[in-house]
Amino acid sequence: MELIGRIFALAITAIFVQNFVLSRFLGLCPYIGVSKKLDSALGMGMAVIFVMTMASTFTWLIQSYLLIPLKLEFLQTIAFILTIASLVQLVEMVIQKTAPALYKALGVFLPLITTNCAVLGVAILNINQELNFIGAILNGLFAGLGFTLVLVLMAGIRERLDKAELPASMKGIPIAMIVAGCMALAFLGFSGLNI
Amino acid sequence: MKLMNVFSKGLVKENPVFVMALGLCPTLAVTTSVKNALGMGFAATFVLVFSNIFISLIKNFIPTKIRIPSYIVIIASFVTIVDLTMNAFLPEIHKSLGLFIPLIVVNCMILGRAEAFASKNNTITSIMDGFGMGLGFTLALVVISGIRELVGAGQFFGIDIMSAGYKPVLVAILAPGAFLVMGLLMGLLNLKKEK
Amino acid sequence: MKYYFKLGVILLLITAVASGVLAVVNNYTKPLIAQNKQKTEEEARRMVLPKAETFETDSIEIQEAKVKPDPLMIQKESDKSSYFKYYIGKDEAGEVTGYTFVARKYGYSSNIETMVGVKPDLKINKIKVINQAETPGLGANCENEDFTKNFIGRTIPKLLVDKDGGDIESLTGATITSRAIINSIKDGLQNLKQALSSSDNNEEDKE
Repeated sequence: MELIGRIFALAITAIFVQNFVLSRFLGLCPYIGVSKKLDSALGMGMAVIFVMTMASTFTWLIQSYLLIPLKLEFLQTIAFILTIASLVQLVEMVIQKTAPALYKALGVFLPLITTNCAVLGVAILNINQELNFIGAILNGLFAGLGFTLVLVLMAGIRERLDKAELPASMKGIPIAMIVAGCMALAFLGFSGLNI
Repeated sequence: MKLMNVFSKGLVKENPVFVMALGLCPTLAVTTSVKNALGMGFAATFVLVFSNIFISLIKNFIPTKIRIPSYIVIIASFVTIVDLTMNAFLPEIHKSLGLFIPLIVVNCMILGRAEAFASKNNTITSIMDGFGMGLGFTLALVVISGIRELVGAGQFFGIDIMSAGYKPVLVAILAPGAFLVMGLLMGLLNLKKEK
Repeated sequence: MKYYFKLGVILLLITAVASGVLAVVNNYTKPLIAQNKQKTEEEARRMVLPKAETFETDSIEIQEAKVKPDPLMIQKESDKSSYFKYYIGKDEAGEVTGYTFVARKYGYSSNIETMVGVKPDLKINKIKVINQAETPGLGANCENEDFTKNFIGRTIPKLLVDKDGGDIESLTGATITSRAIINSIKDGLQNLKQALSSSDNNEEDKE
């Protein structure tokens, strides 16, 4: 029972209270770059959820069974980024072979994910927060969900912004930033939650 | 003359933050104070200059197929060096930048310059490009953090400069403020460009 | 096939060289990083207990773990029975001028470490936050003198934040941070009391 409570708390924290994009400032490049259309935002979100969960799993195993026993913690950054890069490549190849339909939907986003700092960010945060194996996997999943949620919300707003009459100088990224600021303001309200 | 152009374009004309919208995550996350912004700016400049040097030196020995992974390893090494040395000599700034030091690895600005510039140019020009881009990045960070610190805390570089009666607008230093300041600044720059 | 083998070797070579360089840098910086941590603690110790000339360290074992193990966190061996480490400050004449310890608790987004200086009568002399990464503008203000001066002269029952009916003014918009600091200090004081009563039982009577 306690486990379920903790999982719920972890989910609320990762998705709302300390949302990866709006409160931790991770993954902003895709957040601004891929939020122009709703369906591409959804595709990107799904790909990120998938890679974040996988990356959390593998980086946690590498840290616990390779880096710590061998006292090589200083290689963390190199090891993690290489893991993520190869993972993304592997996922791309597997999906291409086994699920062409899925590949068609996610394919273009996968190469972009290697340099999405949210993925490396969640891998390092899992270690910093001393989560165990289950905790790390779940945290990766929830962080991905939180990212997708705000990405899709943003895309919905930006599709409408296209039709709004804006001063020319604010079009594009500037107004997206302002919208993101308003969303962050709303999400700041969650920080009062006591979990 | 040409070298000066390579250097100065990074400062304003091709400013990595305001014009190219690269490296947004650290730009927004660490600009809560000018001190942090300078720390981040110099750390990123160091990594950028040295990875540019190395990549331009060994560009002819690396087969195209493994170009990106090799660049990532080189960049990650310099990031780890910065991480360790800052922890040893500037523990205060290291602590407040925290997660965002290892995340310099996935700063798209650095991989972007490696791929777009250092892999095609000689070492001297690559160094100039690295310095120009790095200082442009630092400049942008200092401008944003200057505004946020002044409005949000009534200070500049940790020194009170507003009169005692000034009540800080806390939101500027919190997450939403980062997005709002960034959006407004970009809008202003666009407005200036149009004229 | 041979081509791919060559690619692998080149990549391996680059990674090996990089790891070697990093090992050297790590070897050089590691003692410095440890030294830094010690230095900050030493300075903080002197700050919260300025009268003390020398410090002696002592520790007691605390039997049962106070917090229930978190099912999603790494369980450490030390959670089962941990040691409470404290320092005894003495002046030139060798008289005990007070005690210091580091109080530690997870706040809103980071582990907060506070150096606490306690007078011999177990009233707080002064505290200093030595490690935190709370939200800038909110929780991070816990380092300010405005907040830490609240603690001077307090005893265990007086450690309560205003939201919980006490009279320590909590930081604006950062009750969680304030509460974490207060609770960590309270736990530490209780451990210190226990430690002193068990070690000094025959010397002097503490209440």
